[in-house]
Amino acid sequence: MKENPRLLAVRAVRQELATLGIDPFGIQIDEILSPTEGLIQGRRTILAGTNNYLGLTFDPDCIAAARDALESAGTGTTGSRMANGSYAAHRELELDLARFYGKRDAIVFSTGYQANLGMISALAGPGDTVMIDADSHASIYDGCNLSGANTIRFRHNDPNDLAKRMGRLGAEASHALIVVEGVYSMLGDRAPLREFVEVKKAFGATLLVDEAHSMGVLGEKGRGLCEEMGVLGDIDYVVGTFSKSLGNTGGFCVGDSDEMEVLRYASRPYVFTASLPPATIAATRTALRKLAAADDLRLRIRENAARLHAGLAALGFRLGAPANAVVAVLAGEKVEALRFWHHLLKQGVYVNVMVPPATPGNESLLRCSVSAAHTPEQVDAICAAFASWPGARV
Amino acid sequence: MTHQDVVAQLIKLVEPYAEGRVAHITANTGLTGELALDSLKVMDLITDVEDHYEISVPLNTLADIKTVGDLASLIQKHVGNDA
Ligand SMILES: Cc1ncc(COP(=O)(O)O)c(C=O)c1O
Repeated sequence: MKENPRLLAVRAVRQELATLGIDPFGIQIDEILSPTEGLIQGRRTILAGTNNYLGLTFDPDCIAAARDALESAGTGTTGSRMANGSYAAHRELELDLARFYGKRDAIVFSTGYQANLGMISALAGPGDTVMIDADSHASIYDGCNLSGANTIRFRHNDPNDLAKRMGRLGAEASHALIVVEGVYSMLGDRAPLREFVEVKKAFGATLLVDEAHSMGVLGEKGRGLCEEMGVLGDIDYVVGTFSKSLGNTGGFCVGDSDEMEVLRYASRPYVFTASLPPATIAATRTALRKLAAADDLRLRIRENAARLHAGLAALGFRLGAPANAVVAVLAGEKVEALRFWHHLLKQGVYVNVMVPPATPGNESLLRCSVSAAHTPEQVDAICAAFASWPGARV
Repeated sequence: MTHQDVVAQLIKLVEPYAEGRVAHITANTGLTGELALDSLKVMDLITDVEDHYEISVPLNTLADIKTVGDLASLIQKHVGNDA
């Protein structure tokens, strides 16, 4: 068989993992038992590497709403939002989201990945400039690629560096689109949003914030870091996903601009894909109502985050950021990190392992995430698994 | 600023990322080839280049940049434009 040279690098990585006998990227959950437990390789395993922040995946009301919609509206829409795929419930969910954020309008996309692709490529095109944080999610990089805009990367979470680079654009700066995330998925560190808003205002630019990992977790009503920092009114576009705290699949953008109405039609990732199935829309609407009222779950996730962060710090591990739903253990060199990950799995704890170049810096990470559904005993069991690692603490 | 000047300066900026993989970096040295810089390192290098020359080098203009010399030529274009 002829080998596709494009696949050589990936093939080499797959081969290396096969030789080690460790494959974190091909792991399968044979049975999902609850938001925080699954059966993996015959072992009952604590899931500490999901994005199920509020634990809503098995919520009885969300399941009931999905079941009703499935039976009344069928399994799928078989078409784009722009053709036969817009049902009343899609628009109702958009209005729910707009109301929740106190924004003028919302657009629902089929995934969060597509929401970033769709918004960035609709807002910017060849000759325009997009300024992105160096540690941006792949969907932001890919959105820039799809847009064809001039893409300039500023140093991670550094508003002064952004301002310096904006200054080099001259008059073009006022047309620039700035893209940041609220909470970064790998280290769990937060963006200095107030300072980014200052820069945006100083240059008269547009600011889009991806709140994928902060929605439901931060802010009094769960409206993310933007709410917690009191800057929601200054953010032009908030992008988010249904695939984390809402426990489903899908993405969205909310905004105050009167261009929201036309933006969706200018967005290829909105137009050229099928809309979300009725059951997903119905469960997400229910989950959004729960998320807004979930003060108790937000308290629990904060307690779990603090417990895990303190437990791992006490064991001597270096952590990526102050306590947050994402707690990343810095794990040094790649092969050692993979062995560490495998050791945790054998102890019945699943976490995410990230290796360079997908990680910030030159270092591997063991990314743990807590859910409001974790019990304190489960959090202690996660710490105990880390404590049993016989290797060095780097 | 001659091409040689820019190449000489660029070699200084590349060296921290090369981690000794290539003993003598020249204009012909490949960035992702011999120097084996991954995509993230190349972008970090561009950030340093932008700061050294006080220019903007958009990521979407890097597709055809294979060697130190290619990048030097791109820098010269930007420095020329901005001066
Ligand atoms: C910051 C960020 N944005 C967007 C996405 C994509 O979301 P989705 O899973 O809905 O495609 C993710 C999740 O992977 C993310 O971490």
